[in-house]
Amino acid sequence: SKSVSPHALCSFFFLSSWLPQMVLFRGSHWQTSLLALRASLPMRAQPKKKKKVDVKREQAQKDRMKKKIKKLEKAAPEMIPIEDFIPPLKYSESSRVRSLPPLSFEETERRVLLMKKWCLFKQNQDKAEQKAIQTLLKAQQEALKELRLESEELYQAAIRRDEGLFPFERDGPNYTPPLPGYDPPEGKCVDITKVYTQ
Amino acid sequence: TAAAPRPWRLFGAMCLLRLPRITQPLEKEEEEIAALMGQIELEKSHYSDHEIRKLQEEEQLRRRKDSKYDGDDEAPGKTVIMAQDLEDKWEQKLLQFKAAPRITDADKNNNRTSLNRKLDSNLMLLVKQKIGNQKLWLLPQVEWQPGETLRSTAERAMATFLGDHIQAKILGNAPYGIYKYKFPRAIRTEDNMGAKVFFFKAFLQSSDLSQVELKEDYLWVTKDELGDYLKSEYLKKVNRFLLD
Repeated sequence: SKSVSPHALCSFFFLSSWLPQMVLFRGSHWQTSLLALRASLPMRAQPKKKKKVDVKREQAQKDRMKKKIKKLEKAAPEMIPIEDFIPPLKYSESSRVRSLPPLSFEETERRVLLMKKWCLFKQNQDKAEQKAIQTLLKAQQEALKELRLESEELYQAAIRRDEGLFPFERDGPNYTPPLPGYDPPEGKCVDITKVYTQ
Repeated sequence: TAAAPRPWRLFGAMCLLRLPRITQPLEKEEEEIAALMGQIELEKSHYSDHEIRKLQEEEQLRRRKDSKYDGDDEAPGKTVIMAQDLEDKWEQKLLQFKAAPRITDADKNNNRTSLNRKLDSNLMLLVKQKIGNQKLWLLPQVEWQPGETLRSTAERAMATFLGDHIQAKILGNAPYGIYKYKFPRAIRTEDNMGAKVFFFKAFLQSSDLSQVELKEDYLWVTKDELGDYLKSEYLKKVNRFLLD
């Protein structure tokens, strides 16, 4: 019963002096028996002084704890490590390095030329996209101009913001269309991500 | 003073788009680059656990063959699953799965009224409408009535041809394009010179249109096929607000 606080022990001692008949009463499973408890209580000659010294000691302990808590709180909160940016150590072992033949001169040449072709391809693609967007905008501006000539009221209704448009969600295109009547296999996913609290 | 009545009649038309369901095929350059990127990634990577296991088992097999049944005492009791066996098993499982085809039956029959055609591009709704005394292929349009915004006119146009239970996301309150035309001289008057058709765009969201009964002829066509049906001036204006 070392885990029982002195406070609980004192109260129990009081209760036991009141009801000596209730031997079976146990405050908690840590208190094995009444008689053993009585023997384990520290007996002091001067009960009054014991209280003062105890109280003083307890207060000193409390102050020390409070100081420690204040120090911890003042210290800056530790950064939560981002698991993705820290590669696990087992992957930097030398035995893991792939052994491949070195690239030939033709291969490097081919790669460089391919990258240049890709640059050009992407540039043309981007230019075409920009042009399409510009035509789109011009067409819309023209339509709005004509609408304004027609009726100011309709024009104002047209340029009002559409609140229901965003957020706009859509399932992106896949490689194959959905298979009708497909039953996906059952499985369970166990999430083992570590959650850090500050 | 009341504003003078404008001589133009207003129409609201809806360009209903069915968005693509599958990805477009890669161009030649894109495929080459994708292969190159895969190769570079492989070269820069380290061995994974599965690959190390495979290498170690290959080593063991080789040693066992060279040393000629020296390790026979340890192995035969337990049946060890090799990494190679696992890979074969996975390969088999992949081959058993059969995905839906990218080119559907409607593609092969060129059935232009079906929505299951050309799954990798946008499809637009074209309806045959009576304008004056001609029946023309147009984007569904309906005349504007005073008291409603042009967007609601377009919505009404969609509902007239496809019914009320169509789910479509209209992209904003503003029109995307305009087609202005003057009536032929026979019908033209001071107050009734011509018509302005304002186009609105919407994305079709309900994928099942089997309950819809269209009274008129309708077609779902891609941007390239529009030229087969629309008149040149109309087509020019429509092409401006369509992204491929």
